[in-house]
Amino acid sequence: MTGADTKKEVIFWGLLAGIFGLLPVVSHNDYHLIMANHIIVWGLFAVAFNMLFGITGMLSFGQALFYGIGGYGVGLMVKYLGKAWFLPGMAAGVLAAAVLAYLLGFLIIRVSGVFFTILTLAFGQLAWQVTFRWYHVTGGDDGIQGIIPPGILGNKVFYYYVCLACVLASVWYLRSLSNSPLGLILRCVRQNPARVRFLGRHVRRNQRRVYVISSVFAALAGGLMSGVDNSVHTNMFYWTTSGEVILMSVLGGIHQFFGPFIGAALIKIIEDVVGSRTEFWPLIIGLLMMTMVLAFPRGVVGEFQMLKARWQWRALERARRG
Amino acid sequence: MSSRKAWGLLALALALVMALPLGVCAQDKVIKIGAMYPMTGRPGLYGLDSVAAAEMAVAEINAKGGVKGHKLVFINTDSQAKPDLAVQIAKRYISSENVHFIFGEVSSGAGLALTEVSSQYKKIFIGTDHASTQLTSDKLQPYYFRVSNNTFQSMAAGALYLKERQASKPWTTLAYIGPDYAYGHDQWNELKYNLDRFGVKYKVVGEYWPKLAAPDYTAFITAIMKDKPDILVGGLWGGDTVAFIKQALPYGLFQKMLYFSPDGGGNYELMSATGDELPVGLALSGRHHNNWPDTAANKKFVQDFFKKAGRYPSYAAEGAYSGIYAIAQAVEQVGNPADTEALVKAFEGMKIKLPEDPEGFTSYIDPLTHQIVQVQAIGETIANKDFPPATRMLGNWKVYKAEEIMPPVEYLKDHSSEYLKGRLPK
Amino acid sequence: MDLSSLLVQFVSGLSTATLLFLVASGLTLIFGVGGVFNFAHGSFYMLGAYLAYTFVATVKLNFWVAALAAALGAGILGMLAEALILRRIYGRAEEGGFQILLTYSLILIIDDLVKLTWGTEYKSLSRPPGLGGALVMGDLVLPSYNLAIIGVGLLVVVLAWLVLTRTRPGRIARATALDRETLGLLGINVPLTMTVIFGIATALGGLTGALAAPLRSVTPGAGIEVIIDALIVVVLGGMGNFWGAWLAALLLGEVNAVAVAVAPEWASLFSYLVMVVTLIFKPEGLFAPRQVRKV
Repeated sequence: MTGADTKKEVIFWGLLAGIFGLLPVVSHNDYHLIMANHIIVWGLFAVAFNMLFGITGMLSFGQALFYGIGGYGVGLMVKYLGKAWFLPGMAAGVLAAAVLAYLLGFLIIRVSGVFFTILTLAFGQLAWQVTFRWYHVTGGDDGIQGIIPPGILGNKVFYYYVCLACVLASVWYLRSLSNSPLGLILRCVRQNPARVRFLGRHVRRNQRRVYVISSVFAALAGGLMSGVDNSVHTNMFYWTTSGEVILMSVLGGIHQFFGPFIGAALIKIIEDVVGSRTEFWPLIIGLLMMTMVLAFPRGVVGEFQMLKARWQWRALERARRG
Repeated sequence: MSSRKAWGLLALALALVMALPLGVCAQDKVIKIGAMYPMTGRPGLYGLDSVAAAEMAVAEINAKGGVKGHKLVFINTDSQAKPDLAVQIAKRYISSENVHFIFGEVSSGAGLALTEVSSQYKKIFIGTDHASTQLTSDKLQPYYFRVSNNTFQSMAAGALYLKERQASKPWTTLAYIGPDYAYGHDQWNELKYNLDRFGVKYKVVGEYWPKLAAPDYTAFITAIMKDKPDILVGGLWGGDTVAFIKQALPYGLFQKMLYFSPDGGGNYELMSATGDELPVGLALSGRHHNNWPDTAANKKFVQDFFKKAGRYPSYAAEGAYSGIYAIAQAVEQVGNPADTEALVKAFEGMKIKLPEDPEGFTSYIDPLTHQIVQVQAIGETIANKDFPPATRMLGNWKVYKAEEIMPPVEYLKDHSSEYLKGRLPK
Repeated sequence: MDLSSLLVQFVSGLSTATLLFLVASGLTLIFGVGGVFNFAHGSFYMLGAYLAYTFVATVKLNFWVAALAAALGAGILGMLAEALILRRIYGRAEEGGFQILLTYSLILIIDDLVKLTWGTEYKSLSRPPGLGGALVMGDLVLPSYNLAIIGVGLLVVVLAWLVLTRTRPGRIARATALDRETLGLLGINVPLTMTVIFGIATALGGLTGALAAPLRSVTPGAGIEVIIDALIVVVLGGMGNFWGAWLAALLLGEVNAVAVAVAPEWASLFSYLVMVVTLIFKPEGLFAPRQVRKV
């Protein structure tokens, strides 16, 4: 990484922590707090997802499976054991996601490309169907309500800061992972798996590793979300949830580490603005997604950087001529 | 497309979206109702009908000068029947839009999530159309009121119907087919509970749980035919009832047994979607009927709705219409839409004359469970072309007294929230 | 369970399987031949159902003519979608992912356009005249319309086989699946071939929607409801394998029919169970073409 990049990154972290850290101080509106909370938690989910897609080139259409497990880990513990089990529930959800991702990894990281995508989709739907119909335990379509974090965590502002701390720490960890030798191998896996093998590295093992990591953070996001919404629901497992996180990443830019985070913020804001004005929001989201894929495949962050590079180049040209 | 041109287009599109009309302008004295109804997908029809009927009620009341100098303002956001989204919208309504009431929702899952928000923020939630009994028993909280029937009431009326039928046309065996989620299971459990309560003897010969929105029922139909029940109880709703009936027709299922669906089976969209194919003699009901009761108020409601929407309403519409009138009546009594505690008192025990009330009966809100108490009528499909495109409607009504079909205290003792427990008679 | 009721359930399964196969056939065709994963295939199924409804209810066409017209309509819309939208991303890095996103956006767009055009009220069609009844043989009831659909399903399988193996366009299609570049060098218009194949696949989807309309309710969102089951069929059959899809549909239809009779409580999970068990042993599906395992 060059010095300029480091400086930029410091600025970005500063902005991230500053904007989201100061929000509860600036605004006492509950809804703004909830929106911000949704944005940071979805942002974590999207960044974790992009470890698979943008960095390793594995498009999973089933990350909702782990997001749901994270949420239901908390939900079920609180429902059956009481609200003191909120945090242990979160740990249990994350652990369950890790174990399941590890086992599933052996099963589905035997195929690649679209085959991988469809298998993840199928397993995600299986989990949704089980949650939906295992009504006596999960509450089925009614979901689980009244998930109030215990003690001081029950305070909305405090809980928000806890979420923010978790999200920042997780994104920081994922960032350093992406810059580590493992991150380098994963990028190579995306670009040229055969060569990775010639270099004596294991493609599948590294793919499984990143699959587990991504899933663990998806589960963490699900667990955090259960405390924001105070309820969990089978929709968390549904394939449209996986679709939404993909959309966020593409919108923000899959080849920029922070792209998905920006994408999550944009999608949440667009959904809120469009959804409160028209019932034809799917049309608008659909058109937006189509425009992004066709015209701006680099995503908002990527296109912005392209634009900036072009300006700099032009300025350089001018300076040279003049 | 050059990148710059594309960016311009995108900016334009975004600007257009932002410039869409910004809701209603703030007025000095308003009663603001924030509704959440699904407008898309399968339950979308119910959401659209509910919103149209609610807007109709709002326009009627405002045309007469509003309530105690307040104008009613009704806003709706598509909840997509998703609980998490509904919660988010409700919080926006409460924190940013300063609504006085939250309102609506077809899905019980979303209703259950919303009643939590209502309880946390001490904001009155008027429930329409979602039918899970839990909302007025296990999950009851002080600020929730429901103005349409729950599944318990439908199933209690259903049990009485089956009891009467046993006297005239003896039957012994039952089978059930219902969607494989809470709503499907609740109906079946509550029907069995009520049959036992009314001392009806029966034998269950089969239970079938297709998944919600299953496209194909063939295997279920042949399995049910083999069970040969006297009565097939149906818990399906909407498009699923349509698909089931259409697929069962050539098997002659409806000649071999009585199809009986007392909660969601008799909704108007079934009649309009199946036309001549719908067999006569099915016993069905719903939460409101376009041709019962035969009163001026009901006729006016149905015809006004037709004028506004260009179609006859499904039963969701009348619930939303009633909800708006209940709010108007409560504010009329209290005078201040912000005085939540006084409004709760006004809703408890409120008597309100609604389109679905037959002559000589007025609906009222049970002060104990916050559930509206209404007469329930179960009909049989007969030929009737008054409400096209339907060519069958319900008729040969059997009517059940409102009090008889409410959950008894013994039931509530086993199914009560902390709040309800404190209110139950010792 | 006795033999006669087993037979009854078996026939039920056959009719379920045929509709499943018909939806999956277009999906697997375009994947096998064109290498395109069309997530919006279910939306073309839905368009077929709505078009058939309009042709019967408004234009007053005969049902079978309407069904063919609906298939044609879905085919034309499919060709437009391919030529105007999907074609732009062929050959891009990570094309697979973008295909899925693009077709996902089509689902959202088509759903709302359908809602704008036809409204949200349920639409439904009657069975064509003469096929409302059933053949009755003792305990065995065979609805004539279901038999007709099974017939159509067989017809599609045989026709597809004949076209793919015995005709020049069929050979071109198979060559498209193997090597587009060489095909282009041989003077074949590859982009046009792709558009036509995409059109045929969506026409199959539209035809299925039209045929299923008299048995189901036609609502917005109907496309999403069929796509997941169709996907399972395609995955089980080995993606891109036409015959595999047919066998997988039969397997799922029959497993479901027997499960409903034997263990109704858990019937809805069985199709997933079959899929999971299969994938543990054969991750590329039961009848996969060979190149799948290539990374």
